[in-house]
Amino acid sequence: MLELIDLSKKFKQLYAVKNLNMFIEKGEIVGLLGPNGAGKSTAISMLSSLVDPTTGDVRFHNKSILKNPSPIRKIIGMVPQEIALYTDLSAEENLRFFGRIYRLKGAELKQKIDEILELIGLTDRRKDIVKKFSGGMKRRLNIGVALLHNPELIIMDEPTVGIDPQSRNYILETVKRLNEEKQMTVIYTSHYMEEVEFLCDRIYIMDQGNLIASGTKDEIKRILSAEKTIVIKADRLNDIFIESLRQDPTISSVTVEEKKVTIIVPKEINIFPAVLKLAEEAKLELNSVDIKTPTLEDVFLHLTGRALRD
Amino acid sequence: MIWIIVKKQLLVFWRNPQQLLLLLGLPIILIAILGASLGGLMEGGPVSIDAKVAFIEHGNEQTQIDQFLNEVENSKLPKDAITAINNSTEKMTPITILKEDILGSDELKNIIDLEIIKPREKANVLNNKEYAAVIEVPENFTYQTLKSIYLKKGTTGEIQVYKNEGNQLGSTIVTGILQEYQEQLSFSTFAGKQGITEEALQVDPNAIIGETVTINQKNPVTAKNYYAVGMAVMNVLFIASTIGSIAFLEKRRHVFNRVILADVSRWVYFIGIFISGTIVGFFHLSIVYGVSWVLFGLSWPNPLGFFVVTLGLAVSVGGLSVLLTAICFRLNSEMITNFFGSIIVTVFAFLGGSFFPIGDLSKAIQVVGNYTPNGAALTAYLAILRGDGISAVLDQFAFLIMFAAVLVTIAAISFPKRGQIV
Ligand SMILES: Nc1ncnc2c1ncn2[C@@H]1O[C@H](COP(=O)(O)OP(=O)(O)OP(=O)(O)O)[C@@H](O)[C@H]1O
Ligand SMILES: [Mg+2]
Repeated sequence: MLELIDLSKKFKQLYAVKNLNMFIEKGEIVGLLGPNGAGKSTAISMLSSLVDPTTGDVRFHNKSILKNPSPIRKIIGMVPQEIALYTDLSAEENLRFFGRIYRLKGAELKQKIDEILELIGLTDRRKDIVKKFSGGMKRRLNIGVALLHNPELIIMDEPTVGIDPQSRNYILETVKRLNEEKQMTVIYTSHYMEEVEFLCDRIYIMDQGNLIASGTKDEIKRILSAEKTIVIKADRLNDIFIESLRQDPTISSVTVEEKKVTIIVPKEINIFPAVLKLAEEAKLELNSVDIKTPTLEDVFLHLTGRALRD
Repeated sequence: MIWIIVKKQLLVFWRNPQQLLLLLGLPIILIAILGASLGGLMEGGPVSIDAKVAFIEHGNEQTQIDQFLNEVENSKLPKDAITAINNSTEKMTPITILKEDILGSDELKNIIDLEIIKPREKANVLNNKEYAAVIEVPENFTYQTLKSIYLKKGTTGEIQVYKNEGNQLGSTIVTGILQEYQEQLSFSTFAGKQGITEEALQVDPNAIIGETVTINQKNPVTAKNYYAVGMAVMNVLFIASTIGSIAFLEKRRHVFNRVILADVSRWVYFIGIFISGTIVGFFHLSIVYGVSWVLFGLSWPNPLGFFVVTLGLAVSVGGLSVLLTAICFRLNSEMITNFFGSIIVTVFAFLGGSFFPIGDLSKAIQVVGNYTPNGAALTAYLAILRGDGISAVLDQFAFLIMFAAVLVTIAAISFPKRGQIV
């Protein structure tokens, strides 16, 4: 349905997106994963016809959208990363305005507004000014606005940022339901692995403008099949210990967080004795050493040597 | 679709009561303060123009008339034509009409102080600054004029006017009168040539006087009214920066992107901004003037003229709004609206005479000031207040519309292209 071909966007010297190739089939939920500044939002702006790419093409049903963006605009529902609402207007007034610019009117518009308010759970707050809403309510309305015109393709750019787990689950469930009941195609951007794991059939992972992995969940996890992730916890980590881990040739990645070091090693190696020995040499008291089942988070760690979130 | 955008823009405007109050309250408070503190400055009855005018007549009118009649008598004209000319002798005194019926009329007596001067004193009079104007009737003026009118020979004589630049108002009035008079004489000649000899010398002193008096005895504009208008035309400019900020906020909040993604042309949005600016500007002016009318008694003798000027100014505000919006979108910064609101409006207000009638100080500033939208509107509003009709403000109206057209064009050129708005 939608194809991104060698898509690049350059801001001055910086490639926000570089040679991105992607495809999206009707009815699937595709995840776009990456840390801050990976280029997710830029990629989305290009594929939705908001921003022209520096080079490359976006093809919708095999026709370039660059010359004629109207066909794709008609079927897209966009949930931007930012709260794109009129904060001085009420929930209902926002929905009415955006419905009107999607050429809805009269009874149809009214019914659609009621339906959306019900869906996002804001029916009894419909007359309230958006400014007075909580972050989660704004997020929900931000999504609701994108659903007014029954879009075939819904694009969600980090729709769950800054909201409580309950609202977040509700949103995720709603997305899944829309996909199952209405066969809506979804492009879902996030830096929460668990969201993407829960929702998506296929995943693209970006970092610093580049696509670093793509495929189904299982395909991506298989990248890690030859390796395992080990988490070492200690109250007072010291530099000697970390440095010696880094020096060890069998360890392919060392990531340090507060009171926690994550390392990646080949599957067949038993690293426990080595870790204990290094800890002793560094006069470090360990709390625990665990083997973790691989998550997408680990894939990212493996691919980039960095954690997905700071 | 444009109307949907406009309606929403107006709604957003309406939802900001503090802003609204500031935009409306500020001019009204300023009008009240300035009006109260400057109350007496420009008040008083009609401007009294006491123009001393010298009248120099070469040759004697009666002699010339006799000479003319003599020639007619001896000509080969048909008998009844000669009789007709003879019968209208009493009307055949163009100089006396000018001297007594026009310049010496009751209406002009208050304005013009006419002195008959002997030709040999001409040099003295010309050097005397007391005289606002010197009128000189050349030798044979009457003879030539009559010959031209009745016998279709030659042209009417030309009356010479020397203006004293130091006394602009007086000399302008005199020049105006004489121009009108000369035109009427020429028309008589023209009429005469068409064969309407009976009615030949058709100068209508009342028409000439009437015209002059209405021009120069206009309603005086009080200081209160002057500043009410000055503040109104200045403050309405802030509407443009407010509309610009609102539009830029739409971009920053990414709602503009939603509009674009709904496949609404950016030109629809662009026109929506222009229309919003115009409408809000119009209402702003109407409300400020409405309050001024209720509280300070500022009333408009010619409502239609008032409407035309207000409309012109509102359209300029629309143009400014859309230009500021385009620049904000282009530079991706709100800086220009702040710059406009703080610096440009002040400069415009200063040059346009909102703070004091700066045009009286210098002709150059007056010209420049009239090229600001507020200055042009102020000039036009004052003309309406003085009792002028719409025709007196058409120039300013045309300027305001042109001004808006130019701004809209610049805005259209600088508005970011499709796919370039990030
Ligand atoms: N309009 C712009 N001008 C200049 N640089 C930009 C612009 N938009 C994005 N960038 C840069 O491009 C890179 C990618 O940004 P983008 O917003 O696409 O990342 P992202 O993956 O969406 O990140 P996040 O998770 O923080 O939303 C960043 O380095 C950013 O600074
Ligand atoms: Mg982003």
